[in-house]
Amino acid sequence: MPELDDLCRTAVEAAESDEAVEAYAEESRRTEASALRGEVEGLEFAESRGVGVRVIRDGRLGYAWAADPDQDEVREAVRRARENAALAAPDEHNVLPEPADWTPIPELFREESAAIGADDKTRLALALEARAISHDPRVTKIDEAQVGDAVSRVAIASTTGVTAEYGRTDAWCLAVTLAVEGEETQTGFSYRIARGLPELDWEAVADEAVQRGVRMLGAGKPPTARVPVVLDTFAAMSFLGVLAGALSADAVQKGRSLFASLVGEQVGSGLFTLVDDGTNVAGPGAAPFDDEAVPSGRTELFTEGVLNGFLHDTYTAHKGGTVSTGNGKRGYRSPPGVGTSNFYLDAGETPVEELLRDAEGGVLIQDVSGVHSGANPISGEFSVGATGLRIAGGSLGEPLREMTIASTLPEMLTAITGVGDDLRFFSSVGTPSVLIGEMTLAGV
Amino acid sequence: MLPRELVEEVLRAARRRGGSFSELFVEERTSTSIRLDDGKVEELTTGLDRGAGVRVALGTSYGYAFSNRLDRESLLAAAEAASVALTEGQPGTVVDLTEREGAGTNRTERPAGTFPAADKVAWLRELDDAARSLSSEVVQVIGVYGDSLQRRSIANSDGVWVHEDRPRIRLASQVVAAREGNIQTGMFGPAACAGVEFFERFTAKAIGEKAAQRALTMLESIPAPAGEMPVVLAPGMGGVLFHEAVGHPLEADAVDKEASVYRGLVGTRCAGELVNGVDDATIPNGWGSYDFDDEAEPGQRTVLFEDGVLQGFLYDRLRASKEGVGSTGNGRRESYASPPIPRMTNTNILAGVSKADAIIRDTERGVFVTSLGGGQVNPASGDFVFGVSEGFLIERGEVTTPVRGANLIGRAIQVMSAVDAVADDFDTWEGICGKDGQQAPVGSGSPTLRISKITVGGTGA
Repeated sequence: MPELDDLCRTAVEAAESDEAVEAYAEESRRTEASALRGEVEGLEFAESRGVGVRVIRDGRLGYAWAADPDQDEVREAVRRARENAALAAPDEHNVLPEPADWTPIPELFREESAAIGADDKTRLALALEARAISHDPRVTKIDEAQVGDAVSRVAIASTTGVTAEYGRTDAWCLAVTLAVEGEETQTGFSYRIARGLPELDWEAVADEAVQRGVRMLGAGKPPTARVPVVLDTFAAMSFLGVLAGALSADAVQKGRSLFASLVGEQVGSGLFTLVDDGTNVAGPGAAPFDDEAVPSGRTELFTEGVLNGFLHDTYTAHKGGTVSTGNGKRGYRSPPGVGTSNFYLDAGETPVEELLRDAEGGVLIQDVSGVHSGANPISGEFSVGATGLRIAGGSLGEPLREMTIASTLPEMLTAITGVGDDLRFFSSVGTPSVLIGEMTLAGV
Repeated sequence: MLPRELVEEVLRAARRRGGSFSELFVEERTSTSIRLDDGKVEELTTGLDRGAGVRVALGTSYGYAFSNRLDRESLLAAAEAASVALTEGQPGTVVDLTEREGAGTNRTERPAGTFPAADKVAWLRELDDAARSLSSEVVQVIGVYGDSLQRRSIANSDGVWVHEDRPRIRLASQVVAAREGNIQTGMFGPAACAGVEFFERFTAKAIGEKAAQRALTMLESIPAPAGEMPVVLAPGMGGVLFHEAVGHPLEADAVDKEASVYRGLVGTRCAGELVNGVDDATIPNGWGSYDFDDEAEPGQRTVLFEDGVLQGFLYDRLRASKEGVGSTGNGRRESYASPPIPRMTNTNILAGVSKADAIIRDTERGVFVTSLGGGQVNPASGDFVFGVSEGFLIERGEVTTPVRGANLIGRAIQVMSAVDAVADDFDTWEGICGKDGQQAPVGSGSPTLRISKITVGGTGA
């Protein structure tokens, strides 16, 4: 089997004299085990690799990809990308990045994790389920208990002289419990990720999934009102994806971002600092370079509520007369576009208990749904489904369901009156709990 | 795609530790996608995907492994890996393979793969022109064209061997309209398992115009009201709701895990008596149609609700054999990279007898939903939510001002029980459904229908 860098080199060598060619190759070996009713429910092995080729000719970009190609098929992909380029519109900003120095991050690859066998993963999945159903009489079954890990490599080469390669390991586990009382069933979800299985706090996942399910039992529908809202880390995380879309320079340049004309302005509360940092090793999205081989960087998008700028890949940077922030992201099946690395809301100093005290009479939201369809990244308006708990006397009371929260992104960011000290990453997106002074909550 | 001897050898290797059956899924997929943004062809991508997945099952447990390579060594390695999930047992048998013919549900007249990319770019230009010529307030148009041909071959140790080609085509339009700082979007993206004859039903011009019209309509919109009220769903939209709120809890994996609100309710009324619902893989050229599902079971029409009474669930092989029933042909997978799970195909609420305009006239105050942006459900609790991308107020029996920022939220059984009017019209909607990390093309359809009471989440009064 050819090495990734050999495949990339083959593509680059197939370039004709008047064109720029870049090849991006990735491979991963992924294992996932799940448990159900004390038995192994499923064990999945996935070994995949692929190569994507960009050809730029007279400013025209064409793309082609192939799953697990041999050298001939890579050359064929270059030829197809060249054909595709001929039909694309010329655009002077279609350029490939020049080679740049990047610093390897050895912590991303855990040798010992890569060597863990399937048996250990099935054992862990079984232990995860067993723990989840042994704590509370109302949780005797689960919807899902899953443990997985992946070892991946990426290689990039281009006619500008770029050659870059790195490897990483990732591990994750998730649990969804079923909490039952009488006719009612509620689910409790928890999820954690780490560089390797040995570091994964799976006990915490089991316990949290139990707690989050059980506390929703007996939920009712609240009256429609404007109230203070605490978004816990799970709920707050759901909004970061919408923010990421609106902070992409691509959206800005195409007039599809509500933030387009707001650089330098106070958009959010002084407690709101939002960062993208691919160099932060503590975050799962860390990498030495982005998917165009531009070194990862740290970009403070908002500092104390003031918008500083946007995330760039090489294309948007060239178009905007600036430099890439190292945010060119992709899989091998598509050309790069602007994406996030470790994208997170900077932690505050307020303990969650204090946020709850400050939200007296309000609601803690533990889950929001429908964000992908209920939020408009251009206008910033959103309305999403939510479940949570009434906040009374500084602690959590009556569970609530079948309600929606609605606002606009600028209004919500301005209304932040507290940021917790509990920053947590979900995939490469992270956030602490956030207190919003007032929001419309629709129920009965 | 593979010789019979090799297929049988792989199936045998996967059963080296026994199990109830083994299966080999082989796929080759070619695809083209083109994106026209701001009048320019921004992206033209062609892809070649190929791989084979081996599964071995024991009860509802399974092992799964796939390979991008189709040579003997790689396939046997995948079979070996999949078999690891089973504890040691006696090797299982493999029945001699018999090839089965499909019904030809997705027969294509003019395969998209035979058309040059320049033609596809021309369709996008037509879409773009149509959207822009509608109004000077149309400020941006994105057109996305996609086609693919998936060639599948599935064999299992029961001796079943099927081959099927699935053609797909889609043309989608996203339009942004602006007026004095007010920016709104409109979308429309029909799709089919068909060839280029698809454009006889929807022209590129009509697709561009419809998205533009939606964006322009939303420029006039006011914030949606909040609270409980009647909602009338335009043709097609009730199908989207039915898919999400009802269809997912009817998938047999949710039922098996006791994570479905419908568990134990077959034979009881859990929807309004006007509700008749089916899942139907046999609709010719439907977005969710096929001859065989992704574990070689014939696709079929399954009745889910008859006069509001629940009739049954949607099964794949593993869940069906556990319950001692037959598969309903709903085992689907995104590609060779994933094992099949119970999924919907085309999920429809059937037409009734009322007239759509009479249903509106009969509604004092509420919301008329003409486009939904997608939704989400928790099958265990039945809680669901949908974004409304185009909707209007109903005031004194008339459709009046457009509203924005609305969503619909409710619980499956309560909301379906509140369906109190079903019209004699019908339309479909084609979407991509996500479940367990796997994407699947699904169709849904419905007539105009009314829900007498549902929570609308909005920011207005």
